Amino acid sequence: MNRGTATREDDALKDFRIASEPYFRPVGNEVALFEAAFASRMPVMLKGPTGCGKTRFVEHMAWRLGRPLITVSCHEDMTASDLVGRYLLDADGTVWHDGPLTLAVRTGAICYLDEIVEARQDTTVVIHSLTDDRRILPLEKRNEVLKAHPDFQLVISYNPGYQSVLKDLKESTKQRFAAIAFSYPQEAIEAEIVATESGVDRAVAQTLVRIAHRARNLKGHGLEEGASTRMLINAGLLARHGIGLAEACEVALVLPITDDPDMRDALKAAVAACI
Amino acid sequence: MAHQDALSQEARNAFPGDLHPAWIRACRRLAGAGYGEAVAKAYVRSSPRLALLVSPQAAVDLAGAVSGVAIRAGRVAAELLPQQAVSVAEMLGEDGFLRWLRLVEDVGVKASESLAHLLEQTPQLLTQIGLEGLQTWTRIGIRMAEGDKQRRLRFFRLEDPSAVRWLQRASGQTGFTDMESRLRPFLTALWGDSPPLRETPANAPEQARRRAGFDGGIVRLPSSFPGFQARDAEHLYRAAAAHIAAHLRFTRDRFPVGGLKPAQVALVSLIEDARVEQLAMLELPGLARLFLPLHSAQPSSAVTAPALFARLSRALADPSYEDPNPWIAKARKAFAGEELHDQQLSRRIGNLLGNDLGQMRVQFDPKNYVVQPPYRDDNLALWDFGDDDSQAQDAEQVLSSARIRREENDEHPGRTEQENKPDGEAGRVELQPALMEGVPVARYGEFDYVTGREQPDWVSVKEYPAQAASAGQVARLRDDRTDLANRVTALIRSAKVSRAERLRRQSEGEFLDIDACIDAAIARRIGEPPSPRIHGRYERRSRDLSVLLLLDVSQSTSDLVGNRRHTVLDVERQAAALLSQAMSGLDDPFAIAAFCSDRREDVRYFRIKDFAQPYDGLVEARLAGLQSGFSTRLGAAVRHAGADLAKQRSYRRLLLVVSDGEPSDIDTEDRRYLVEDARRAVQGLSRLGVNTFCVGLDSTAEGSLERIFGQRNAINIATVERLTEMLPKLYLTLGK
Repeated sequence: MNRGTATREDDALKDFRIASEPYFRPVGNEVALFEAAFASRMPVMLKGPTGCGKTRFVEHMAWRLGRPLITVSCHEDMTASDLVGRYLLDADGTVWHDGPLTLAVRTGAICYLDEIVEARQDTTVVIHSLTDDRRILPLEKRNEVLKAHPDFQLVISYNPGYQSVLKDLKESTKQRFAAIAFSYPQEAIEAEIVATESGVDRAVAQTLVRIAHRARNLKGHGLEEGASTRMLINAGLLARHGIGLAEACEVALVLPITDDPDMRDALKAAVAACI
Repeated sequence: MAHQDALSQEARNAFPGDLHPAWIRACRRLAGAGYGEAVAKAYVRSSPRLALLVSPQAAVDLAGAVSGVAIRAGRVAAELLPQQAVSVAEMLGEDGFLRWLRLVEDVGVKASESLAHLLEQTPQLLTQIGLEGLQTWTRIGIRMAEGDKQRRLRFFRLEDPSAVRWLQRASGQTGFTDMESRLRPFLTALWGDSPPLRETPANAPEQARRRAGFDGGIVRLPSSFPGFQARDAEHLYRAAAAHIAAHLRFTRDRFPVGGLKPAQVALVSLIEDARVEQLAMLELPGLARLFLPLHSAQPSSAVTAPALFARLSRALADPSYEDPNPWIAKARKAFAGEELHDQQLSRRIGNLLGNDLGQMRVQFDPKNYVVQPPYRDDNLALWDFGDDDSQAQDAEQVLSSARIRREENDEHPGRTEQENKPDGEAGRVELQPALMEGVPVARYGEFDYVTGREQPDWVSVKEYPAQAASAGQVARLRDDRTDLANRVTALIRSAKVSRAERLRRQSEGEFLDIDACIDAAIARRIGEPPSPRIHGRYERRSRDLSVLLLLDVSQSTSDLVGNRRHTVLDVERQAAALLSQAMSGLDDPFAIAAFCSDRREDVRYFRIKDFAQPYDGLVEARLAGLQSGFSTRLGAAVRHAGADLAKQRSYRRLLLVVSDGEPSDIDTEDRRYLVEDARRAVQGLSRLGVNTFCVGLDSTAEGSLERIFGQRNAINIATVERLTEMLPKLYLTLGK
C-alpha cells in the first residue's frame, strides 16, 4: 500500500524532477546560503532584477538537493483554488484535484512561486500557514489539514524595481522569508556566463557585457531596467548563428528594451562605440 | 574718361536698339531722383551685366524696383539691390531672378527696415537654403515678429536664435536641438552620467560658435556645424560629445599656462586630446569608428602649422595613417612610449614639439587657428590661466574664443540644489520670514507651436509662501451652503475610481466562475437545487484617486461673476472649500495650490495644502489669503503641479484646474502661443498617467480651454452650484 502510494507520487513528480545539472555560475555564496536555509526548510525569497538568474538558481538548487521543483507563475487572476486545488467532476462523481502547492506540500517538492507580487494579496495569504513553524496546509473543502512533507520548501521570487507601486507584498508575507539578493554578476563572471550559455567566444562575450553596462547606465535615465544577462545570452545566440554583433544587439537588446526613438538612437550609438 | 567710354561701349552691347535710350532714361531718372549718387552709380554699374544674364528689358525694369526700394527701405538697400541682382541672376537664371525680385519687393513693403540686411545676406542664404527656402524663411521671420520692427531686425540680422534655427531646418541641417535629446542618453550610456549640454549662445564669438567646448562641467555645443549635412552632422555631434566626455573622464587637472608660447599651448592641447581619446578607445574600441573618419588631413598637404597640426592629430589617432614628416614621426614615437594615464605626458611632448616647430621656422598664427578636426573642442577648459590675465592673453587667443558668459555656468549649481530639495520643504517655507520672496524651484520648457519645438528650461517656477488671512470668510462661504457640501460629498462618495476587481459567484457577469459551476453541477447530481450564481464580473468598487486642485489667481479673477455679487476668486475659494471638505471627509488624498505669473522668469506657485497635510483652519486661512494679481502662464503651472501629483501612489491622479480664462502673460503677444503650450503640458501629463480636468468659471474663453484640455475635459460653470453638475461628468471620465 505504502509502496503503491510512493509509486503514484513518483509518477506525479516525474516531470518535476530535474534530470541533468542546470548551468549555474555562483557569484557569491548564494549556494551555501540556500543549502543552509533548506537544512531547516526556511522559506526563501529571491530578489533581483529581471533576467539575472533567479529562476535558473532555483532549478540548480533543486537539482543539487535532489528535490523535484514545482514552479507556479503567478498572475493577477490566480485564486487560492488555483494554488491549493479543487473538486472536479468525472463520470462517477467529484474528484479532488491537488493544486501545484498542495502537490509540493504532499510530496516534498520545492514549490517556486515566480513573480509572487503579480498575485493578489488575498491569494498569497494561503502560504502563511506553510511558512511558519506550523508547516501545514488546511484544505477546507476536503476538511483536511495537510502536514507538509519534511522535504517541502517554499521559494518565491520578487523583483523590487519592476512591480507597479500598487503591487507589493504584505508585510506579514514578506517577514516570513529569508531573502537572497541577486544582481547582475561582475564583468568577468557575466562574460563567462554569456560565453557558456550562448556558445560565443570569450572576446565576443566580453564585448556584450560591456554593451550591457552601457545600457545599465541608462536605468533611471529613460530605461526602466538595464539590459539583463538573459538579453546578452540572446544576443550571443543570434551572433553565433551568423548575425553581425551590432545587429544582434539591436535585435536582442536595443529594440526590446525601449520604444523611445531618441533612446533607441542613443543606445545604438553606444553599442557601436563598444564594438 | 577711358573708363566711361568702356562702360558706354559695354552698355551699347548690352542694350541693343530701342532699349539703349530707355536704359539711359532710367539711369537719368535714378540720378535725378535724389536717392544719392551711390544708388544711381550702382545701377549703372550692374545693369549691363544683368541685361546679358537675364534680359535687357528686365535690366531696364530693375530701375523701377530700385526706385521703389529707395523710397520704402532707404538708400542702403537701394544701393545693394542692383549688385545683388547680378549675383542672384548668376545663381538662379532668369526665372529664379524674377521670383526673387518679387520677394524683394514684397519684403520692401512688409518689412522695409530689414530689407538691407536681407539683401546683404542674399547670396549666402541662397546657397544655403535655395530660393524656396528663402521665401519660406522670410515669411516666417515677418510672421514671428508680429509687426515688431526690432524683432524683425533681429531676425534678419540673424541675431535671433530662432532665425538660425529656421535656417537650419530649411537647409536640412541637423542642429543642436535635434541632437540634444539623443546625445544625453548616449553620454549616460557610455560613462554613467551626462554633463549638462547647452547650445552655444548666438552672441558668442565666431570661433566659439564653430567648436564645442566645456567649462565647469557644462558642455557647450555649437547650434550647428555649417557645411555638414544631416547624417554627417549627427556623426559630428556624437563625436564631439564623446570627445568631451573623454576629457571629463580622463583630464584630471588643468595645465597652468605659465610662460608657454601659443604654439606650445596648442600642441599640448592637441596631445591631450589624443591621450584622452586613446584612453577612451581602450574601454570603448568602437569610438574609433566615430573619431577616425573625421580626420581628413593628408601627408601631401603644405608644411604650415595648421596643416601639420591636423596631420599630427590624425597620426596620433589613426595607426594606419602614414606620414613621412620627421616631426610627426618623432611625435608619434614619443607618444607611443608613454604611459597614457600620466597626464603630464601631454605637457612634456607638447613643449618638445613646440620647440622643434620654432626651429623648423614654421609660423603659427594664433588668431586664425581653429582646432581640427571639427569635432574637437576649443580646449579652453584644459588650461588654468592663473590670476594674471595679461600674461595669458596670447595663450588664450590660441584657445580660439572668449569664455562664455558667466551666467551660463552660474545657472547650473543653483538648479541642482533646488531639484534636491525635499518635497515637504516648500510648504514650510513660510516658517522662514526671510523668504518672503519666491524660491525658484524648477525650470520647465515651453512649447512653441510656430516652430513645433520645445524651448528647454524656458520658464522658471518660484514657490511663494501662501499668505494667511482670517478664515472666517471661507468658513462662512462653506457653511452658507451645507446643502451643497452634502451633495458634493455624496457625489464623490458614489464615484468609483479604482482598479477593476474580479467578483465571483454573481448571478450575471461576463465570464463563468469555474468553482461556482462545479459546485452547481455537484448540487444537480446530488439532487439539490443548484445556485444560479455561477458568473463572475469585473467591477470598480472603491475609489483610489489623488486630486490636486490648481487655482488660477491671476488679475482677472477679481472680476465679478454670475449674479455679480462674488468675484471669480470668491467662487474659486468656495469651490475649493467644498471639494476639500468632501474629500477630506472621505480620506481621499488631495492637495491645493494656486498660481499666477509675471513673465516667464517668475511663475508664482502657492502651496495651500499638501497631500500629507490635514484640511484645517490653516488651509482655510490660506485660501482666504489668496489675492488676485498678475497673469496666467498656465503651461508651467500645470507642469509643476503635475510633477507633484505624479509622485502620488494611487490608481488615478487628477489635476483639477480652476481658471477663468485663457492663458496669457505680458511677455507674450501671440494669444495662441500659451494656449498651445498649455495643451502640450496637459498632453505631457497624460503620458505620465495624470488626468487633467478644467473648470472654467464664467469663462469667455471656453474655446481655448477646450483646445487645451480636450472637449470632454473642460466645463464652464457660472456659479458654484453647478459644481455638482460637473462632478458626475468628471468622475465618469475617470472611471473609464
